[in-house]
Amino acid sequence: MSHGGKATTVQDRARVALNDDFLRNAVKFTTEKLRSQKRVATDELGNWEEWRERARAIRLHTIAHLDYYLSMFIENARANGTHIHFAQDAQEAVEITMKIAEAKEAKSVVKSKSMVSEELHINQALEAAGIEAVETDLGEYIIQLAGETPSHIIIPAIHKNKGQVAELFSEVAGETLPADTKILAGFARAKLREKFLEAEIGITGCNFAIAETGSMVLFSNEGNARMVTTVPKTQITYMGMERIIPSLDDLEVMATMLPRSATGQKLTVYMSVISGPQREADSDGPEEMHIIIVDNGRSHQLGDPEFQEVLNCIRCGACLNVCPVYRHVGGHTYGAVYSGPIGAVLTPRLNKDDLETSGEVSMASSLCGACFEACPVKIPLHDMLLYIRRDYVQEGIPSKMEQLAFKAFEHTVSDHKRFKRAVKLGRFGQMPLVQGGVIRAKFGPLKGWNSYRHTPALPAQSFRESWRALDAELQGINVEMEADMKQRLQEILAKRRGT
Amino acid sequence: MIDRNDGVIRELVEQAKAREGEFLDGLARRLNRGRITEAPQHPFRGAPDFWRGYELSGEQRVELFMKNWASLGGVVQRFADEDGLSDYIADVALSLQAKYLIRFDHPLLEGLELENQLPEVEMTVWQEDATEDLKAKAAGADIGIAVVDYAIAHTGTVVVASGGNRGRSVSLLPTAFMAVIRAESIRTRMGEVMEELQKRFGHNLPAGVHFISGPSRSADIENDLTIGVHGPGIVYALILDN
Repeated sequence: MSHGGKATTVQDRARVALNDDFLRNAVKFTTEKLRSQKRVATDELGNWEEWRERARAIRLHTIAHLDYYLSMFIENARANGTHIHFAQDAQEAVEITMKIAEAKEAKSVVKSKSMVSEELHINQALEAAGIEAVETDLGEYIIQLAGETPSHIIIPAIHKNKGQVAELFSEVAGETLPADTKILAGFARAKLREKFLEAEIGITGCNFAIAETGSMVLFSNEGNARMVTTVPKTQITYMGMERIIPSLDDLEVMATMLPRSATGQKLTVYMSVISGPQREADSDGPEEMHIIIVDNGRSHQLGDPEFQEVLNCIRCGACLNVCPVYRHVGGHTYGAVYSGPIGAVLTPRLNKDDLETSGEVSMASSLCGACFEACPVKIPLHDMLLYIRRDYVQEGIPSKMEQLAFKAFEHTVSDHKRFKRAVKLGRFGQMPLVQGGVIRAKFGPLKGWNSYRHTPALPAQSFRESWRALDAELQGINVEMEADMKQRLQEILAKRRGT
Repeated sequence: MIDRNDGVIRELVEQAKAREGEFLDGLARRLNRGRITEAPQHPFRGAPDFWRGYELSGEQRVELFMKNWASLGGVVQRFADEDGLSDYIADVALSLQAKYLIRFDHPLLEGLELENQLPEVEMTVWQEDATEDLKAKAAGADIGIAVVDYAIAHTGTVVVASGGNRGRSVSLLPTAFMAVIRAESIRTRMGEVMEELQKRFGHNLPAGVHFISGPSRSADIENDLTIGVHGPGIVYALILDN
C-alpha cells in the first residue's frame, strides 16, 4: 500500500471534515451509539476485564508462535481441500487473484467487506481487467457507488445521508428512488441478489482463521458474507497472516469480544465457520476455495518489542468510537485504509518505508489513552503513537523551524537554573499580552492554538514553586502558617469578640 | 481449455508450496528463533475458568434462549409434540401465503408430514442426490426449514452444520427461515457447542458451520435499523420438547 503522491495533509483533510456539519453530527451520533451499546453489552456480560485479559493472552500466545500456528492452519486447510497462497505484498496478492480470475474466466466478482482487500486496491485491478467487482455490504456498496473509501471500519458509509444514498441508487436504478431506508435497502437487496447469482467468484476477508481445523471465520449482520461464500463457484479469501487463533475453543473468546466491542451485540447475526470447499455430498458452497495469506508489512512488527502487539488487533473499531480526534473528524481525515487510533499506528507501521507521508497521522492524537481503555485485547496504542512520533523525528521529517524550537526547548528544560530564568523572563515578557489572566494574541507560534482558545498566562507562582507546600500536604503534614499572618488573624478575632 | 485453466491453478498451488518454507522461516527469523515444530504450551486456551462454571438447568436454558431470540427480533414458539409443531408451520405457511418451501432431508421434518398439511405448496427436499438445482430452489423459496444441531441460550443463537441433506442455502436464501430446535440440544454457552463440534468431527469440520442469531440486519443507512437485507428477515425458532 503506497501513499505516494498524496496531495493533501492531515490538516487539510481535517479542515474539510470539520466544515461538513452532516459528517460531524453523523460521526458523533454513530460513535456515541456504538460506545453506549458496547457499555451495555459488557456490563450485561460481566467480568469484562477478565475476558479482556483472556483475549489478550490468546492473541499474545498466537503471535508469539505465529509460524507454528500458521503452519498448522495451512496443513489443515489443505486437508479440507483449500488452496493456500502466499503474498509478501499487495502486488503479489493482486497477481495471484488476477491469475485465478483469468483461469475461471470471471466476468464479475462479488465481495464481502474486507479491510485487507482495501489495502490491495483489488477492485481497481479487477476493473482494469474488465471484471466487474461489486461490494455487497450495504455500506460498502454505497461508498463504492460514490467512488469513496470507508470512513469507519464497522459502518463504512457513516458519512452519507439518506438523500445522497437515494441519489446514488437512483442512478443505478434508472429511476428516482425516495430517500426512505426501507425502499433503499430493498432496492439494494434485489440488485445485489442479481449480482450474487451472476458472479463466478466471491471474495471475502477473514476475521479469524482456526489453526486446528483449517477454517476461516466470518462475522456479518446482513448475510452478504454468507451469500459470497455460498453462491459463487469459486471463493477467494484474503487473510492477514496474523488472523490466526489456535482452536475453536479460542473462537468462543473472540466471538465474545468482537461483536460486543464493535456494535454491542452479543453476537453478530451470522458467524460462519467455513472449512474448505463444498464436500462431495454438498450441493452448495464454493466448489473451489483459495486463501491468500497476506503479509504486506505485517511481519515488520514481529520481533519488534514496541509494535508486535499491534498484530493482536481484532479490527473491532472500538478505539475509533472513543477517540476524541476521530469523533470530531471521522475516517477520511486519516487518508488511509485504517482510520482512528489503530489506523494512526497501522498506517505508518505497514508503510514504514514511507514514514514521511504515513507517519503524519500519528500526530493527530491527544495521547489520552482512551483507545487502550476501549481495546478488547489491550493494545497500548497510545505508547505506540509516541514511538512512531519518535521515529518520525529521528528521521528528520519535521520542519527545520520545529526542530530548532525543540532544540531550544531541550536546552532550556534540561537545566533547572536555565528553566527558572526562562520562566521569570516569560512572566515579564508576557505582560503586554495578558488580558484577564489569558493570552489571546494570534500571531507567530500562538496563531494555531489561540485561533480556537486562549492560552493561560504564566502564574505568579509556578508549580515548582508551589511544590514544597503541595508535597507536604500530600504527605499529610500541614505547613505552618507564617507567623505575622497568624498574629494578624488572631488580632482580627480578638477585635470581633471585643465588639 | 479447461485443462489449461486447471493448469494455471495447479501452477499457483505448486508455487505456494515452494514458497511456504521461506515464508514461515521468515516469521521465525523475525521472532529471533528457529521454527517451532513441537506444540507449544497454550495455558490460556478457550474461555476463562469462571465462565466454564456457568451452567443453567434445562428449563432455564430454554427460557433464556427464548428471551434472547425474541429480543433479537425473531419469533419463538415452544411445542410439546410434533403435532403442535406441524400445525404451527402449516398455519404460518398459509398466513404468509407461501407457495414454495424448502427443507432439510431430516426424519423429524419427514415425520411432520407437511406435504400432506400443505397440498397447495411446492415442497423441495434438500437431498444429496437431488436432480433439481437446489440453490435456485432455495433462492425462490418463501420459507426454508431446518433442524439445527445446537442452540446457545446465552446469545440466542442456533448452530447449523452443512451436509449433503443439509444445504446452507436453506437458512440463507428464502424470505423466511424456520429453525427447528430439540429442547435437549440447547446449551448454555458457546463453548459447550465448540467442545461438542470437536468431539463429533475432530479436525474435519463440515464445510460450513453457521451460527445464526436472529434476522439479517443492517444499520448502514443513517443508522436506521433495516431487517432482511441479504438473509431472511423473518426468522422462527421452534422448540420441540419431546
